[in-house]
Parts: sequence; structure tokens; C-alpha cells
Amino acid sequence: MIPLENFLLLSAVLFAIGFYGVLARRSAILILISVELMLAGVAINFVAFSTYLDGEAFSGLIFALFVITVAAAEVGLALGIVLRLYRERNTANVDAADELRW
Amino acid sequence: MLERLPLPSQFDRVIVMGSMLVVLIAAPIVLVLLALLIGDQISAPEFVFWLAAAVVVGGALGAVLLPNVVHAALSLVATLLGVAGIYLLLVSDFIALVQILVYGGGVVILLLFGLMLTNAQDDPVVTDGSQKPFAFVVGALIGGTFIAAILDAEFGSSAATVVAFEDFGARLFRDYLVPVIVVAVLLDIALTGAFVNARPDPPEPAETTEDATATPGGAS
Repeated sequence: MIPLENFLLLSAVLFAIGFYGVLARRSAILILISVELMLAGVAINFVAFSTYLDGEAFSGLIFALFVITVAAAEVGLALGIVLRLYRERNTANVDAADELRW
Repeated sequence: MLERLPLPSQFDRVIVMGSMLVVLIAAPIVLVLLALLIGDQISAPEFVFWLAAAVVVGGALGAVLLPNVVHAALSLVATLLGVAGIYLLLVSDFIALVQILVYGGGVVILLLFGLMLTNAQDDPVVTDGSQKPFAFVVGALIGGTFIAAILDAEFGSSAATVVAFEDFGARLFRDYLVPVIVVAVLLDIALTGAFVNARPDPPEPAETTEDATATPGGAS
């Protein structure tokens, strides 16, 4: 039997890698990819806890399903915004849209 | 017309180089794990776990570090399929299937479309951020905090429970009916928003109507 900690450590590593990507990348789509990594890490956490500690209620599985759904909606919407940004600025870099930066 | 498209040769190169790289990196890991498995150091589920974990972490590193955006997206595919394998290990078949369907089928295709429509490859400095060291420090801090917290915590030891598809569906559509409806509305709104955002701007009336002087009431 694989200990629960293994899955938690894997999801923590995945989350940290995704966090690094969000901060280090400049292209909006690559940032989206990194956000997907972070969401995958969170979903692993949900499923691991649900399977190991909450087998009767399995709320974590439902949560993981919702995480996947919301991630899909987020990617669709964000790509629309990125296309808009590309049409306006001719680049998909987030640096190009810094009017709101103080 | 067809030969002007750069896709086939580019994809061939991606596939060949990617496969070589994957084999070079993955072969030692697989060999070590196989040796451990044959030597009865680890059990079969542990073997699968470490294999999937290597795929997940390697793919994630590739998705975050690779300078070529298409390589990064393909690397993401490896990570997401590895995560599906982790779900299978956690005896959550349904989530694994949904993961492959939604991510492998939908999200990655969307991302690749986005990469190609925005010509992200034409921008040479697209991945070179001056904030990289800072990002590395913050990422390492967050990861280190999580890992320290996990290693410090005490979890009750219980065996993994298998959830039948019927139970899952019944619970989802009975106890969690309202969240399901809310998520459906959310998907609807996201689809509408994506459509409204990605749609080309309606052309200016003065530019389109050449004979604007003849029919001034045409513009709305």
C-alpha cells in the first residue's frame, strides 16, 4: 500500500512547479499551462484525501470533478481573452497589458 | 498551398527529438525502478506510482522550463496523462477517465490552438523573464513549506476505498445537484464570454458602407 504522504508530496511538488511557471513565464498561454499544473496538483490532493480518509462520503472526488470542470471553463474563457489581447497588441505577452499596474 | 504550412516537418522534429529526450531521461529511471521491483524492494503499486510520479514531475518541469511553446504544451500532455495514472492508482477510475477526456481531449487542443493563433513562437523573448530567480525562490519556498507541513503531519492510516460508478453518479446528481447546476451555468457563461471576447470586432460603419452617402440610415 502506498502511503498517503507520497501522493501529497507529489501534489505539493506539482503545485510548486506550477507556481514557478506562473511567475516566470511571460506568454499568457504558458501561464495558463502553469495554472493547469497547479490545478492538477490540487485535484490530486482532493482525490488522495477522499480515497484514503473519506471513503464513505467521497466528497473529494466530487470536488476534483468540479476542479476539472472549472479548469476547462477557465481555459476556454482565458483563451478568448488572450486572442483579444493578441488582436489589440499583436502579442500574447502579459507585459503588453500593464495599464492597470501601479 | 500545403507545402507552405510548416506543420508536418515541425511536428516530425518535435516527435523525434522529444522521443529521444524522453528515452534518454526515462530509461535510467525505469531501469532503476525495474531493478528495485525485481529485487522485491518495492511492490508493484509502488513501482507504478514512482513511474507515474516521474512522468508527472518530468512533464511539469518540461512544461515550465522548455523555451519552445509547443514543446511545453506537449510536455503538459505527459503530465496530465501521468496525473490520470495517479488517479487510477487512487482507485478513482471515473476521475481518471474525465481527466483524460477533458484535459487530453479538450484543454490541450484549446491551448495548442491558442499557441498557433497567437504566434507565440515568433516572440524570441517570450519565456525569458528577469523575474525568474525571484520566481524560483518563491516556488521553492512554497514547495518547501508544503513538504515540511506534510512530513510533519500525522494522518490516520486507512485503506483506500473503491467507489462504484453508480454511487458516484447517485451522489453527484442527488446530494450535489445544486452545485452541478451552478457549474453548468458557469460553463454556459464561460462559453458565451469566450465567444464574445474572441469574436472579431464588428466593422466600423463608415468603413464598410462604401455608399454611405446614399444610404445614411444603414449604419446601426
